[in-house]
Amino acid sequence: MLSLNNLSKFYRTDEVETVALNAVNIVIEQGEFVAIMGPSGCGKSTLLNVIGMLDRPSEGEYIFMGEDVSGYGESRLSQIRKQNIGFIFQNFNLIDELSVQENIELALLYHDISSKERKQRTAEVMDKVGIAHRAGHRPSQLSGGQQQRVAVARAVVGDQSLILADEPTGNLDSVHGQEVMEMLQGLNDEGTTIVMVTHSAAHADYARRTINLFDGHVSTQSLRAA
Amino acid sequence: MIANYIKLALRNMAKNRLYAFINVAGLAIGLAVFLFGMVLASYERDHDSMFAKRDQIYTAGSVFADGADIGVLETNSVYTAMGPLLEAELGELNAVARTVTREFLVTLGDTNDSYYHTITFADPELTAIFDFDYLYGDASAIADPRGVILSESTAQKYFGRSDVVGEVLTLDHEHDLVVKAVIAEIPKDSHFNSSMIQEREPRLFAQLDTLGSIRDFAFDEDWGNLSLGDMTYMLLPEGKSRQWLNDQVNAVFQRHAPEGQQEFIPYLRVRALVEDNTVIWDAIGIPAITSIQLLGLLVLVVACVNYTNLATAQSLGRAREVGLRKTFGAGQRQLLAQFMIESLTIATLSMLLALACLELLVPLFNRWSTKIVSLDYLSIAPFLVLTTVFVGVAAGAYPAYMITRATPIDSLHNSMLKGNRGGLFRSLMIGVQFTISVFMLACVLVMYFQNQQVAKSADIFPKGSVVVLERAGVEDIVKRHETLRRQLMALPGVDNVTYTSQVPFDQSNSSIGVARTAGDEASEIIINQVRVDEGFLETYDIPLLAGRTLTRDIAGDFLKEDGEVVNVLINKLAAASLGFASPEAAVGESYFEILGDRSWEEGRAAVQYNIVGLVPDQNFLGLHNKIKPMMFVMQEKWVQTASVRLNGENTLQTLQDIERVWEEVIPDYPIQQRFLDDVFNDIYVIFKTMNMVLAAFAIVALTLALIGLFGLAAFMAERRTREIGIRKVLGARVDQIVRLLVWQFSIPVLWSLLLAMPLAYAASGMYLNFFDERITLLPLIIGLAAVLGLVTAWLIVSVHAVKIATSSPIQSLRYE
Repeated sequence: MLSLNNLSKFYRTDEVETVALNAVNIVIEQGEFVAIMGPSGCGKSTLLNVIGMLDRPSEGEYIFMGEDVSGYGESRLSQIRKQNIGFIFQNFNLIDELSVQENIELALLYHDISSKERKQRTAEVMDKVGIAHRAGHRPSQLSGGQQQRVAVARAVVGDQSLILADEPTGNLDSVHGQEVMEMLQGLNDEGTTIVMVTHSAAHADYARRTINLFDGHVSTQSLRAA
Repeated sequence: MIANYIKLALRNMAKNRLYAFINVAGLAIGLAVFLFGMVLASYERDHDSMFAKRDQIYTAGSVFADGADIGVLETNSVYTAMGPLLEAELGELNAVARTVTREFLVTLGDTNDSYYHTITFADPELTAIFDFDYLYGDASAIADPRGVILSESTAQKYFGRSDVVGEVLTLDHEHDLVVKAVIAEIPKDSHFNSSMIQEREPRLFAQLDTLGSIRDFAFDEDWGNLSLGDMTYMLLPEGKSRQWLNDQVNAVFQRHAPEGQQEFIPYLRVRALVEDNTVIWDAIGIPAITSIQLLGLLVLVVACVNYTNLATAQSLGRAREVGLRKTFGAGQRQLLAQFMIESLTIATLSMLLALACLELLVPLFNRWSTKIVSLDYLSIAPFLVLTTVFVGVAAGAYPAYMITRATPIDSLHNSMLKGNRGGLFRSLMIGVQFTISVFMLACVLVMYFQNQQVAKSADIFPKGSVVVLERAGVEDIVKRHETLRRQLMALPGVDNVTYTSQVPFDQSNSSIGVARTAGDEASEIIINQVRVDEGFLETYDIPLLAGRTLTRDIAGDFLKEDGEVVNVLINKLAAASLGFASPEAAVGESYFEILGDRSWEEGRAAVQYNIVGLVPDQNFLGLHNKIKPMMFVMQEKWVQTASVRLNGENTLQTLQDIERVWEEVIPDYPIQQRFLDDVFNDIYVIFKTMNMVLAAFAIVALTLALIGLFGLAAFMAERRTREIGIRKVLGARVDQIVRLLVWQFSIPVLWSLLLAMPLAYAASGMYLNFFDERITLLPLIIGLAAVLGLVTAWLIVSVHAVKIATSSPIQSLRYE
């Protein structure tokens, strides 16, 4: 599905150059469930952002579905992104002014989809994540678990084949965390590729493969027995 | 505590420099414009305060009938026959005095130094009404039929000294007058000196009876002439009201004025002297002074709205501070006080800045306009303080209320930052600003295009290639007309020369009543007459539609003194008004002068006019006047000017040649020449100036509104950073984001356009009504203003929208 070849990312300020990712080589196959772990500041989120094309690599190659996207401009990246990639954030990143249903529909708004079909798909996905009864509520009226379910629904409503989740359970209690993980598990079972950053070893166990990052390097990769 | 609040206010401003700058600068500009409008208006409305009896002095003016069609609604003069009648029949009046102004060539003593000077001929009572400041001589000066009163600057200009009592001034080489008194300069803010528009030369007073004998004209019996600025003053006794005077004056008018004049002027209007300076605006029906005040106020409103809007937006960012204060026990009232003191501080700073602006602006304006507007702080101090407080409270009240009413926990959690608190209010305010700005802009454009239309219509006459030689009507010069004409025609750069009583764009209506049957008063029409000479049509590019032109070779083409029949040219409208089947059919026909009850011209026979030629309907008076029935007749007695048509070859040389020829033929009178363009500009400049003034107001208003929108857009874009990040992560394109942000501000702007356009339509009608030939496509022009307003608003908002939409989404998301 995607491969990072000798990919590096630096952040430059006036005086200091910080290396966030240092010549990383990662291959992720279609249908994989990959967890990325590592201590704070090791570059997990940066890696996820680069994979998600929210951030561009400083050096190296990023092959996404057979295309080298590392040199693409923002408008082409946003095209690829909206067709293929869904995002789930630790802090949910829902828009407070919009209702649950509108938040989910937002992900379809930028595709060429008729209003009727948007409504239908939004309704389906709300059913799927069990949030349909809250469709008209504002995010601030929901619990954290419910908010994250909305975020998951938003990530998959466009039939994205790759879901990038940045500590999706970080702000949730264990019961709600469990719920979200099971939902991701279910999506993976249906064929969606999932890359997830997490601190929780228990949640990392849902993944088939774990990549450990340390100081911008891939330190170890471990496979879970199937 | 208050000092603490002020300190806090200043610190807050230092923290948010952009907003503070927009706030203070915007308010200062608004205040400066507003104050300037106020100061100017009160200057214009408080003239003549140097005269002790100002408030007892009244003037009589004439109000024209609806169908009079002379371009003005009223004038500040009445027929000079009224003066003696008022004096005789209103015994209660303390004094009545008339003035009539005429230009003469003034020769000094026994020198050859001559100057053209417009002399004010007045009844001797004038000095009882106005207490001039006599430097030499006294008020009796004008009681002497040969007496002259000079102003000091005139004395200096003519003689190089002030004490010139006893010096002789000769008018038109013939009439000797003697300086009997020298008065101190009459200040500029007297109606004697200032008209709204043009500068007048210093006054030189002589006796009205003297003018009567020079011109052999009975002013006391004149029911025929009215000139703007020829006044009749009355000194009202104690205990009598203006209403009383008005009634009495009208009663006298109705008792004595001939019937025809009463049809033309249904009634007279008595005004206080102080109104005379602004009467011109009433006369043309455009309330310019009030408009300036109103425009100033509107600009101030736009500036206040800027403050309110930015303050509500910005105060959201201070919710945490307010929450903390509340948590530690501050009551709503205390917080309210704090925020109000902040806005008052800003208002005060802005006021100081505005006054500094005025200090710079007023002298510049005075130099440009030759007015003497002054800032008398002592008398306007209460007004300034009141304005400052009002602006501070008006602008600061809503933001203060909004921020302080939230519960402490809401404020602490910054939940206000998330909702769209005050959004409707801000939209409303943007709406108000753009309504005002687009309204003004639309009016500016309408005026501009109407003025263009006026200028374009005037191009039917060759404005740039006719030189007008003025004051050619003096008897002495008339004798030499033929010589002058012959010699001018001999110049290689001159195509034609003609003598006329008025040139195009001269604002002078000379009309008579005529009908196709002699004495048929029932079918009388009013026709404007212009006295012309051979070469008239050629000089002014007027095509001949039928018949022939007038020529000196045919005796019947001349109307001699006491002549009873003459050949004339008329325009098509005159032919139609006279009732001819077709304009062409009029050629060869006749019509007759209707003398009616012109009792003051007793003994004269009605003239028969034979139509020999037909010309098209052209607006001879141009500018704001209607096309009228016109007749052109050759009558030497009334010609005033020579018009010289240049052919464009070596114009500079030709102009010098014309001067040389004049000096050779008429060495005793200096040449006074100007291009026809300048005659046109005499009046056109008024329209242009009004347009410029309005444009200045509109630009300030629109700029303020745009600055406010800029600040607000900056704030809103910042506030929506996270939302925009999310949208971008979900695949929104840059243009979609930009559209989203721009749209947020477009809605109130669009509403304001809907409101502004009908308002502008109504208001610009007021201006257009003044003109006969109006622009079409008025809705299109107003629409253009609306589009301009909308597009500039979009551009301003786009600056932020594009910036934030093109930034990397991850940066947007990290914001929190």
